[in-house]
Amino acid sequence: MLDWTQTPRRPTAVRREQNLALVSAVLSGAVVAAGLILLLVARVNPETGAGLRALAGDLITPAWDVVRAPVDGATRIAGHIGDYFGAVSRSEALARELDTANARLRSARTGLRELAQLKRLMAVREPTRAAVATARLAAATAGGVVRSAMLSAGMADGVTRDLPVIAADGLIGRTVEAGSHSARVLLLTDAQSRVPVIVERTGQAGLAAGTGLPRLVLIDRIGPDVPLLAGDRIVTSGDGGVFPPGVPVGVIVDPRRDGPVIRLAASPLGTGFVTVERAWLPIPDTGPKGPVFDAPVPVEARRRGAPPPRLRGAETPPAVPAPLP
Amino acid sequence: MIASPPPPALLMTPDERRRWLLSLWRYAVPALLCAGLVVMMLAPLPLPVPAMPNLVLMGVLAWAILQPALMPAWLAFLIGALADLLFGLPLGVNATLFAVAAGSIRLLDLLLVERSHLVDWLAVSLLVLACTLASGPLLSLAGRPLPVLPMLWQVLTSMIAWPLLLRLCVAVQHRLARSAPRWSHG
Repeated sequence: MLDWTQTPRRPTAVRREQNLALVSAVLSGAVVAAGLILLLVARVNPETGAGLRALAGDLITPAWDVVRAPVDGATRIAGHIGDYFGAVSRSEALARELDTANARLRSARTGLRELAQLKRLMAVREPTRAAVATARLAAATAGGVVRSAMLSAGMADGVTRDLPVIAADGLIGRTVEAGSHSARVLLLTDAQSRVPVIVERTGQAGLAAGTGLPRLVLIDRIGPDVPLLAGDRIVTSGDGGVFPPGVPVGVIVDPRRDGPVIRLAASPLGTGFVTVERAWLPIPDTGPKGPVFDAPVPVEARRRGAPPPRLRGAETPPAVPAPLP
Repeated sequence: MIASPPPPALLMTPDERRRWLLSLWRYAVPALLCAGLVVMMLAPLPLPVPAMPNLVLMGVLAWAILQPALMPAWLAFLIGALADLLFGLPLGVNATLFAVAAGSIRLLDLLLVERSHLVDWLAVSLLVLACTLASGPLLSLAGRPLPVLPMLWQVLTSMIAWPLLLRLCVAVQHRLARSAPRWSHG
C-alpha cells in the first residue's frame, strides 16, 4: 500500500516496465550530462542565470525578512535583559573609557585642524561617502560553499553590484548580484573575497582574504615588514575603489609571519541592519557607448531616441590612405 | 500518491475524475518538501562554521529511498538547480550532484533490496561526504575554485540530522497515505 509502483502481471505490462526503466536510465544520464554542460557554460560565461538568480532572491528574501523579524526581536529582548544585569559595572567602565577618550580627542582636534589646513594647501580632493540604502540582511547561506547573504534591498533602491556593505561594527562585504528587491552580498569570509586593507598601527598595506572559515588571513603585505602584534586593528585602505578607507575589518588575533589571522569586526550573522554605500571611487566607464556608424543617423531614427551618431573617423585616428597602385 | 491506482481514465465517472484531478497535487509533495528545505537552509544560523546540515540533499535521498517513483533523477536535478540559484553557486553544481546521488540510491536499491536503517544511514553519510568532496572539482570546472574542506562540518551535522529528516519524511508519507482517496473498484 505504501509503494507507488505495482508489480506488473501481464507480459505487455512487463515490457512496458522494461521500456520505462530504460527511458528513465537514459533520462538520468541526459540530466547529468546537462548539469555538466551547464557548468561549462558557467565557466565560459559566469553571468549565466543571473536573471533567474535575481528572481529567486526576490522571491525568497521577503519571506526570510518576515520570518526573521520576531527572532531579531527576541534576540534584542535577551540583549536588553543582559544589559540590565551588567549595567552598573559597564557604566563605570564606560565612564573611565570616556575620560581617556576625551583627553585623546582634545589632542586630536588640534591635529585635525592642521590636517584640514594642510589638505587645503595641497588641494587634496577626497570623495565623500554616501549611503545608497539601509536594509536588513535577510538570509545567509550557512550551508553552502559560497559564504553569501541576502539583502532586502535591490535595484529599486539603487543597489547595484560591487557596492560596499557596512554594518555598525565594520565591513560586511560587497554586493555581487542585485535583483529588483534583493541583492546578494559576498561576505568577507568567502574564499573569493579580497579586501585591500592597512594595518592601522604600522600603515602597512595588504589584502584581507577570506578562507571559507570564520577568520580572515592577511596576505600580500607590502612595505617595510614591521612585526604585527595581536590586537592590531585592520581597516580598509580605500585602494581598488570599492571600499571606503578607514572602515574596520577586524583585529589581528594570531600574528604569524606566514599568514596573520584576522578576527572579523562585524559578524554578518546577527547584524540585522546594514548600510549599502556608494562605491568609494567607481572606475569611470570610458568605454564607447552605442554602435559606431559610418554614416550619420537618419533624422527619423534620431527623433525616436537613437543615440547621436559617432562617426568612425571622429574617434579613431585618420587612417593612412592606401598607396595608389 | 501512495494510494491504490485510479480507475482507467475512460471509465471514470465525472465525480471520480474530479476527485482524481484534485488529488494530483500529492505527486508534487516530495518536490515541494525539498524546495522548502532549500529555503530552510538559507536560515541565518549564528554559527561561525558552515554547520547547517545539507537538508536538501538528504531530503532528495530520503524520498529516493521512500518513494523512488516520485524522486526521479530529473526532479533531483531541478531541485539542485533551485539550490544553486538560491545559494549563489554556479548553475549546475548541486543539480549534477543531486541527480547522481538520486541515481546512486536507485543503484543501491538494485544491489541491496532488503537493507536495514543503519545501512541506509551509512549510505547516505557516504553520499553526502562524496557530494561535498565532489563539489570542489565541479566548482573548478565552472571556473570558480573554492575550498570545500570547511564543508566537512556540514557533513558531520548532516549525519546527525539524517534520522530526524527521515522521520519527518516518513511522517509526511504516512499522513498522505492516510488521507489518500479510495476508489470503489479496488
